[in-house]
Formats: sequence, structure tokens, C-alpha cells
Amino acid sequence: MSDVKRMLAELQGICNNPKAQLDAALEREQKVVGVLPYFCPEELVYAAGMLPFGLWGAEMQTSLSGRYYPAFTCSLLHTALELGLQGKLDGLSAIMVPMCCDSLKCFGPNWKYGVGSVPVIDVAWAQNRKIPAGEEFTRARFRAVLAKLEEVAGKPVSDEEIAAAVAIYNANRAALRAFSAAAAAHPDEVSPLERCEAIKAGYFMDRAEHTAKLQALTEALNALPKGSGKPLRLITTGILADSPALLGILEEQGIAIVDDQVAQESGFFRTDVPATADPVAGMSQRLAMLEGCSILFDPEKERGRELVRLAQGADADGVLWIMAKFCDPEEFDYVPVKRMLDKAGIPLLAVEYDQQAGSFEQARSAIEAFAEMLRG
Amino acid sequence: MADLLTLGMDVGSTTSKCLILRNGEEVLASALVPAGTGTSGPSRALEEALASAGLAREDVAVLTATGYGRSTFPGADYVVSELSCHALGAHALCEEARTVIDIGGQDAKALRIGPDGKLESFLMNDKCAAGTGRFLEVMARVLEKDVSDLAEMDEQAEGIVPISSTCTVFAESEVISQLAKGVDLCSLVKGIHASVAVRTAALARRLGVVPPIAMTGGVARNAGVVHALESELGTSIRVSPLAQMAGALGAAIYGYRKGSESA
Repeated sequence: MSDVKRMLAELQGICNNPKAQLDAALEREQKVVGVLPYFCPEELVYAAGMLPFGLWGAEMQTSLSGRYYPAFTCSLLHTALELGLQGKLDGLSAIMVPMCCDSLKCFGPNWKYGVGSVPVIDVAWAQNRKIPAGEEFTRARFRAVLAKLEEVAGKPVSDEEIAAAVAIYNANRAALRAFSAAAAAHPDEVSPLERCEAIKAGYFMDRAEHTAKLQALTEALNALPKGSGKPLRLITTGILADSPALLGILEEQGIAIVDDQVAQESGFFRTDVPATADPVAGMSQRLAMLEGCSILFDPEKERGRELVRLAQGADADGVLWIMAKFCDPEEFDYVPVKRMLDKAGIPLLAVEYDQQAGSFEQARSAIEAFAEMLRG
Repeated sequence: MADLLTLGMDVGSTTSKCLILRNGEEVLASALVPAGTGTSGPSRALEEALASAGLAREDVAVLTATGYGRSTFPGADYVVSELSCHALGAHALCEEARTVIDIGGQDAKALRIGPDGKLESFLMNDKCAAGTGRFLEVMARVLEKDVSDLAEMDEQAEGIVPISSTCTVFAESEVISQLAKGVDLCSLVKGIHASVAVRTAALARRLGVVPPIAMTGGVARNAGVVHALESELGTSIRVSPLAQMAGALGAAIYGYRKGSESA
């Protein structure tokens, strides 16, 4: 096995067994805080000496969550709640729940009633995030979250500790950007699934450790000659693009992901926290700077413009939108964003994704046809 | 120069279609077996088409598989998505068509094709049987009719009993409650066809309808659905007698193009 494959396999192992990471943290008596998407101030958890643990749902069937959520709720929240209700997240000391979509607003109350044993920290950030009052609101709310986290950690957290955590997170983001570029340059070495797993592993492990592993992997990749094959070059967009079955179809079709606008992926690493005297104000400013996600208030649909820029910058053949089923914000974005892509002459395919779905044959047909269409 | 024989095999969810072409144009034989992927249907369709043309498998230069069961069909030289094949097949059957509506056994698709038959964009229905051939089969069973009877019943209808549900399971309940009221069966069938048309037209509108429109797939044989769709879209729809074979035809044409390139 090559060094690159060995390092990818190591990250794959971490990504595919988050429970082992949770257990290992508990074994070393480190507290763990669950972090639901989107854009929670993870750095504050890290600064408090606890392990932030991403909660992105799971590919599984649900039974208990149906008591709290109707069937037309996105599978991410259904399955995340199901994991809690089944007791699989009992080791967590708390979970952070943002309130940025209708279904997330119900998550906290549902969790409090159904799970109980793991306390909820509500995270509010300003929808009007770019105006000064919005930035101040977010900063103040993040400070309130910090106070809750200090209670969970059982210790105060200084601004110096927060600044140090921010630096570690920014370093991780830089490492992820470098890895994403290296993976795009070496599609024959890094499959779409391996790319995703290397990125996603960071949600379950110490970010500094993740950075070290990514830097070694990127260095090994960059030492190799660039790929000689001619894969189709796609940009992915959406909330999640981590389904092994869907990403396997991309690999079968000779498709490389050359950049992304996925909340779980570049949504985390594209934008750093700016340097500010108050590190929490910097975290609020980062939220104001973010683009490219349906959850963010985006009246001019900058998401579409960003997608055009990404596709043109990466010389992409098209865009693949992995549309989270029953996600209203995603579906609302589809029409204006498609119009922008059409205007720029960039082909788009939207494929519905549901973590509770067992079959992806319809998606396979659509992706195959899209690939055939792009190849002419 | 020797003839180039190519075979298109469309392994659908409920039917298997096979078509043999000579030199990319002349249909030598075709076969349709009402059994789809995972059954004996595909091999029977292949045998029937070969027998009908008086050929052996070895006589065929290129075999291209398409349809839901395309990847499991043994011995294919090429495996191509049904969307690309329906675009090619529809273009061969109706050269002017720019929009193709394909309603098969378990899905519905709207395709935009270029002047050369190339697929330009497409949309597929969501994961729901409503608006597909399966929906009509379920309704026919409830009415104790064969699905092939529905078009004639539609023609005899004096009115229409609206079916509002867009879900197959709920629509079945709705049809049963209408039966309990003793409504006219033919008018009920017309309502069922209208519900398919509404759903399919929405799919086509999302893609953007550019006339002329051609319809392919098994449901194209049901004139009741075609007329309902014409009414819903406000334009005529072209249906070839070979509409159900469009996928297999497109696959055979694809094979011909590939065979010609390598010849």
C-alpha cells in the first residue's frame, strides 16, 4: 500500500468509526460536546479543553425519531435525533444546537424531551449577519454559549485560550484547503469518497491532530506527478456529500470532485476566522463573511455567483447538487442558483439524497446520463 | 462494405425490449417481453429478436444495454443510461422533437434534445410511483381491468371523475371510494389519466417545454394519457408506433456509432 493510500485509509477509519473516537476521548477523561450543523462556534468547545464531535446524522433507518419529527423532516436531523434516542451519544457532555432552520428549531426541544441525559446548548446567530448590529448580536450570543460551555467544562475559559483554539482551527482550515487542491490535482490517487472521508474525519478528532495528518497526506500527494487521466471535473454543492454509495457512483463514472460548496466540507474550511482583539468578535465576523450555503441569509444569492466562480476557477465540466431531501432552504435556492449557472453556461445536475434511502439506482441513472451528456 | 448489425437491449423495470438494426437505420427485428430486470425477460427478448431476424448472437457486431437493469445484462459491449438512449431513439423516430417525455414502468423523465439528438438536459421524477406505468397498473387492478383496456375506456368517458391525490397509495384509496359511490368507470379512468398528466406536465415544465414534443416509453401507448398530457401542456405530442422501443432503438444506434468509429 502506498503512503498516500495508507494515510487515506487511516482517516477513513476515523471517519467511519466516530464511536471509537468518542470512547477514546472518554477513556482519557476528556469531555465531548456534540456539534450539530451549521456554523456552531466549535472553537469555544476546543478552547474549553473538550472535544467537539460533529453530528451529521448517519445512513440508517429510524424508528424512535418518528415520535418527534414528521416524515418530511430532513434525514440528517431524523438520524441525529435517532442516535441520541437510541443512547448511542450518551457519552456526550452536551450538544450544541443552532436554530437556523425550522427543523433545527425543533431539535433542541425534541432532544430535551426525548434524550434528556445530554444537555442542550442553544446556539443563536444573527440572520442579518453582515450588519454591525448582527455581528454584535452573534458575538454576544457566542459569549453566552461560552458561559454554558464553561459550566459543562467546569472551568473558566480565557480569551487567550480562545485565540489559541482559533489559531488551531484556522491552521486546520488551511490544511483542508491545501488537501482539497492536492486531491483535485491527483484524482487517480484520491477518489471522491476518500476525499470526503479525509475531510469528514476532522469532525471526530482533535483538529491539531487532523491538521498534522492532512499536511503529511498533502505533502505525499504533491510529491507525486499530477494525474494523467482525464476525469470529468465536477464541483459539488449542497449540505452533505458523504454517501459512500453516491460517491462510489462518481468514481465508477470517472468523475473527480475538483472543488466543493458543501456545508460539511468547504463550508467549514473555505473561510478563516479573522484576527481580532476579541477572538469571539472574529468568530462573529467569520459568520458574516461566509457565503455559499442555503442556511445563510443570502438575499442576493451570492451562493450562485460563488458557484460560478468556483466552477470557472477549477475549469469544471459541471456542478453536481446533492440535494438533501426535505431541506426547504436547499430547494428554495435551486431555482435562482440554476438560473445563474445556466446563464454562465455551466451544466447542473441535482440528485436527491436521503440518509434513510437504501437504493441509489435512480441517482445512478441520472449521474450516468449527466456524465454521458458532458462527455458528448 | 459488410452490413453492421447492432442490437439494443432495454432492460426495464417491468418489460424487456430488444431491437436489431442494420447499418444504424433499418430495423431488422424487435421483441418486447412483459418481464423486466431480474427475470427471464431480458434473455427471452434477446432470443425472440434474434430468432425473428434469423440471426445468431455472433452475427451482431455490437450489443448495447440500457434501462434499469443495464448493468446486470451479460455480454453487453456498451452500457449506456436510458436517458441518453431515449434521446437518440426519440430523435430517430421524430427528428424535429426538442422535448421528449418518457414514462416507463417506474419512472418518468423529461428530456431536452438538440437538433442532432444529443441529450442537452433532463429531469427525472422523484422516488414515487405516481405518474408512472406502475401507477396505471395499480389503478387497473383496482378497477379489475387490464392496463391495455384503459385507453379505450378513456375514449368512452362522458365526463371526468377527478383524482386529486398525487400519491399512488392515497390515489388507490380515492379510486376505491369513488367506486363505492358507483361512479362511471370510464370517467374514473379519464380522471386517473388526468392525474398522471398533471404530474408529468409539471416535470416537463420544470425542465422547460420546447416544442415539438415526442413521447416514448410504454405509457405512450395509452392514448388517454397522451391526450390528457396534450390538454395539460396545450400542445400536440408526437407518438411513434415504436415509442415503447425508443430506448432499445437508441441503444442500437449508439452501438452503430461506436461500431462505425472502430470499423
